[in-house]
Amino acid sequence: MDASEQTALTEAINKLWTQFLPQMRERVGVLETSARAFAADKLSLAQHAEANDAAHKLAGALGSFGLTKGTVLARELEIMYSRESGPDPAVAARLDEIAAQLRSIIENRK
Amino acid sequence: MAHRILIIDDEDDIREVAALSLESVAGWEVVTANSGAQGLARAAECMPDAILLDVMMPGMDGPTTFRELRKNPATAHIPVLLLTAKVQANDQRRFADLGVEAVLFKPFDPLTLSNQIAGVLGWN
Repeated sequence: MDASEQTALTEAINKLWTQFLPQMRERVGVLETSARAFAADKLSLAQHAEANDAAHKLAGALGSFGLTKGTVLARELEIMYSRESGPDPAVAARLDEIAAQLRSIIENRK
Repeated sequence: MAHRILIIDDEDDIREVAALSLESVAGWEVVTANSGAQGLARAAECMPDAILLDVMMPGMDGPTTFRELRKNPATAHIPVLLLTAKVQANDQRRFADLGVEAVLFKPFDPLTLSNQIAGVLGWN
C-alpha cells in the first residue's frame, strides 16, 4: 500500500469515526450514568449489564480507530463490570474516573 | 482473482471498518451480515473464500453460527476466523477448541487485518 492509498484509508476511517461518534458517545454515556448510579448504591441489574456491554464494545472498537488508550481503559471497566455481583465498592471512584477519561478521549480524537 | 470474505458482526462500526480495511488494503470482495442467521444465509448464497465471524452477538452467537456452518455440507468447508474482544486465556482456549482456523482479536489494525487473515489462510 503506497502513501496516497494509506492517506485515503486514514481519511475513510476518519469518516467512519464521524459516522459512529454518536454511538461511541452513547456508550460512554451509559458508563457515566452507571458509575454515578454505582456510587449512589443504585446500580440496577439492567444498568450493570448495559455497562458491561458498553465497555466491551468500546474496548473492541476504539483501538481500530487509533484510540489504543481508550481500548485499555474500556477493558479495565469491562473487567470491573464483569463481576456477577457488580463492581467492587472500592473501585467506585475509578469507574467514574475512567468514564470521564473515555469521554475526553472520544471527544478529542483528531 | 480477488478473494471474497464474509464478515458477520452485529456491531456496525466494526463491520464497516473491517470491510473498508479488507477492500481497500487487500482489494478483496467483502460481503457483510449483521447476525448469525443472516450470516448463514449469506454464506450459502455467495460462497465466500473465508468468513470472519464475531463471537458475541445477540440471538445466534459466533460459536453457534460456526457449528451451523459446519452442519451444512455447502458451507462446511469454508474457513472461519473468529473475531473477539475477549482477551482472557480461558476464552481464547474455548474458542480455539471449536475448530476454527484462527481467533483474531478486537481491536484490529485496519492496515494489517488483511495480512493477518492472509497469513492464517496461506494466501500470501
